[in-house]
Parts: sequence; C-alpha cells; structure tokens
Amino acid sequence: MVDNDGDEDRIRSERSFAERCSEMFIKNFMTKDLVTISENDSIDQILETFDKYHFHTYPVVNEDNILVGTIDQDTILKILLVHRAPRSEHTHLNAVVFQGDTAKAIMVPHPVSISPDEHLCTAADMMLKHKIDRFCIVEDGKLVGIICKPDLIKEVYKLRGSD
Amino acid sequence: MEVLLHILLILLLAKLFGEIFERAGFPSILGELLSGMVLGILLIHQESEILKFLAEMGAIFLLFTAGYKEVHLRDLKESSAKASIVTVVQIIVAFSFGAAIGVYFHLSVLESIFIGVAFSPTSIGVVVRTLIDMDYLSSKPGSMMLTSAIFDDIIGIFLLSIVVTMATYEQFPSGLQVLIILLKMIAFVAIMFSLRKWAFSRLFDQIHKMHVKESIFAFVIVIALFSAYLAEVFGLHAVIGAFIGGVMLSDVPHAKIEHVQSKVTGLAYGIFVPIFFAFIGISLNIASLQTIGLFSVLVVVLALLGKLIGGFLGSRLIGFDNYDSLIFGFGVMPRAGVELVLISIGKEMGIIGDEVFSAIVLMVAVSIFVSPVLLKKAIQFKNRANSNNT
Repeated sequence: MVDNDGDEDRIRSERSFAERCSEMFIKNFMTKDLVTISENDSIDQILETFDKYHFHTYPVVNEDNILVGTIDQDTILKILLVHRAPRSEHTHLNAVVFQGDTAKAIMVPHPVSISPDEHLCTAADMMLKHKIDRFCIVEDGKLVGIICKPDLIKEVYKLRGSD
Repeated sequence: MEVLLHILLILLLAKLFGEIFERAGFPSILGELLSGMVLGILLIHQESEILKFLAEMGAIFLLFTAGYKEVHLRDLKESSAKASIVTVVQIIVAFSFGAAIGVYFHLSVLESIFIGVAFSPTSIGVVVRTLIDMDYLSSKPGSMMLTSAIFDDIIGIFLLSIVVTMATYEQFPSGLQVLIILLKMIAFVAIMFSLRKWAFSRLFDQIHKMHVKESIFAFVIVIALFSAYLAEVFGLHAVIGAFIGGVMLSDVPHAKIEHVQSKVTGLAYGIFVPIFFAFIGISLNIASLQTIGLFSVLVVVLALLGKLIGGFLGSRLIGFDNYDSLIFGFGVMPRAGVELVLISIGKEMGIIGDEVFSAIVLMVAVSIFVSPVLLKKAIQFKNRANSNNT
C-alpha cells in the first residue's frame, strides 16, 4: 500500500513537473550576460578569452551581433596541438582551420540555435536527443543568450524540490 | 553466404593494413588497396554483385562526405580569383599530359580524354602533414593549395560529368549534345540549390522534432541517396549528385550536429569506403601490373609532372617566385580518393581497360609515396636558398 501511494505521488509529481516545465520559457532562464568572440578577433585575442574565462564554448558574432558561429575548447586544443594531430585529422577543412588567423576562419559556422520563446523542456529534449551540451539563443538572427545543461539541471532541480 | 566472409575479411584486413600504413606515416588508403589486392589473389577470384554494389555505395559516400564535411559554400564564395587561375592552369596541363598519353598509344578519343580527366584532381590531405611539420600551412603556397583544392574537386567532378555523358553517347558528342549535357548539369545544380534554399533547412527544422530514433541521421542519408538518384535521372553519375548533395547540406545546422556527422562518417569510413578501396584492389589486374611497361611508367611520370609543371606555371602567372611555385607544384601532385572514384566509374562503364585502370592505381600509390617527400625537399631547398642569401 505504501508503495502504491508512493507511486501515485511520484506520478502526480512527474505530471505536474512536465506540465510546469512546458510552461517555462527559455528566455527566463538563459544567461544573458555573455562573453562573445568577434568574428574578426585574432587567434591571440581568442586564446586570451579562453585563458581569462573558463567556458567550454563561445559564440562568435559579427558587428551587428548576429550569431555566425561558435568556437569551443576542442577547436582550440586542436589548433594548439596541431603538430600532434593524427593523419585521419589531415582533412582539407581541418587544414583550413589550422592555418586560420581569425575567429571567422576557425569557428564552427553552423551552430544549432534555439528561440528564447521555446520551452525549457524543448531545449532539454534536444540536448538529450542530439547530445548537445548548450544552445545559443537567437532572436531575429541576433544572439540574445545561451543556455547549457547545468542551467537546465538547476531549474529542473528547483522544480522537483518545490514539488 | 560466402559474401559475408568476404565482407568480414575486407573490413578486417582494410583496417589492419590501413593501421600499418598510418603508423608508417602514409595514408590508410594504401592499406585498404593492399587488402583488396591480397584478397583478390588469395580468396576473392570473382567479383560478386553484392560486393560491387557495396563498393558503389562506397564511392557515393566517399564523395557525399567530401561535400558534406569538407566543403563550405562560404569558402567557395570567398575563394579568390587567383586560386581559380592557378587551378585552371594546373588542370589544363595535367589534362593535356593525360590525353597525350592516350593519343600516343592510339587509344580511343574517349579513353584518352578519360585519362586526362583522371589526371586532373588533387588530394591535398596527403601533404597536410608535411605542410604542418615544415610550418608551411599558413604560407602563401600552403594557403593557395588549400583554396585551389576546393576548385580542383569541383572542376574534376564537372569534367567527370562530361566524360560520363560522352560515354553514354558512345562517341564524341556534337555541339548540340554538349549543350544538352551542360543544360542538364545546370538544371540539376539549380534544383539542388533551390532545395538548399527553400527546403533543406525547413525540413531539418521539423525532422529534429521527430520522435523516431535517428531521424536526422536517416534523413541525411536519404538526401545523399536522393541526390545520387536525381543525378542519374538527369543523366549524370550518382557520385556527382552525392557530392553536390553533400555540399548543399554543409551549412544546414541540424544536419551538421556533431554526433550526426560522426554517424555519417562512421557509416562511410567504417563500412562502405574501405570496401570501395579494397574492391579497387580486388579489381586490379595483377597480370597487367606484372608487365609494367612503358605505358604504366609514362602514366606515373606524366601524371606527376603534369601537376608539377601546371602548378608551377599557374603560380608563376599569379606572381609567386620560383621557389613558392615549385612548392605549390609539388603540393598539388598527390592523388587519392577522387581519382579512384573516377577510374572505377571509367572501368564500370567500359571507357577504360584493365591496363589503364591498373596504371592509374599505380600512379595514385606512387604519388602518395613521393609527393610528401618531394614537397619537403622543395621547402628545404627554399629555406637553404634564403639562408644563403641572408
């Protein structure tokens, strides 16, 4: 009996959690105070940014604050360890990245973005489904925020706690 | 079910031999070719239809991933006019050398043109290690090689379309037929561009919301096969369509999610592409290799010289000095995947015979061995000359 009661509580709690999660918009939970890289920043400026802050990924924007790409730690590590890159990494595209001297040349130019009006659950579903750790939030092409897994976990944890 | 054993052994040996070559400092493609040659001698004496089909899929996926992962439309837009000049010059010279061999040995017009086309592309990946080791990737000739390589692939694919259509006419096409070929190509590319502009992004915006497993991956493969099929409908070859389809997906964010890319690469390089390279090894006529005569030697020497001279002349035209032009010429010498796709199509369509096929495979292998060494020597030569002058 105790187990059944426990199950019912859990189901009720999960239902209300799912409902509430679907009512929460990304714009209310995203990080708005962003560290960005300009598409014309030099490699040295980018390395300084990575040295100063400790985020995994930085959005790259143009002068109109339009999101044009992302640069992550993997790309930087690849550039720094270029002499150790295995032969399988010697592709044309990697060679272009290795010899790049601005953010525009080394960034990943096709970031998956999400609207600030999407639900928190949508972001969580996509992160799990496509193994993506963070989304740039874009409104009319302009970068307005970023949301990553720890942000989501924090909010979900708060929701469960309030149940 | 003998074919299961064949596929198992091909994949096993291709990866093992590939690893040996990688560790020795050469691309794994040589090991994959060797695995096919070994199996061709010891076990697989008759090419089965299933193996042939899998090899064709390998060629399709090799070029699809080249377009999907390696080419960015942004890079094409930004590529300089200088790069197109130097590319066109080196292709014209390489093509002429190839076609001249055919004429000299009294091969048919079509076969001679095909050898010229097979001489045209470059596989820049083979010399990237040397450029990195010698700190020459960002140099003037280094960046020109990278830009030129994009044009090189595209012009190679374009020439292939022409020669494949010529083969279907079984004669040198008339002016009207050439016009029809061009119109078909333009129509195909226009349809693919329209799909990219109006359909692909919207399609993937919906696909990523689907609940079924691996929806994005499946649709990337669907587009690869659709592009290949559509190209055939337009009288072009499937691999041309696959390459263009890949390019059209190269800037669709949801289609380029990292873990989707790794699955597409896994399917291509884990299964189909090794089978394709091994199949070329199996198809090699050992008898024609054993009788390496003047023809094979000329194919190897002129294919390498064509690129060297063409690259040198093109670079001089755009203002490089003799040293940088020489470095560029050696840098564009290697051939690998695209050339092997070209000759397998040529053989399958009956355009080239065993001797031409085997000679070009030999040329590919030689170019992979010698290009990095010659490039390194050219860079050292320039460095020595510079230090003597200072």
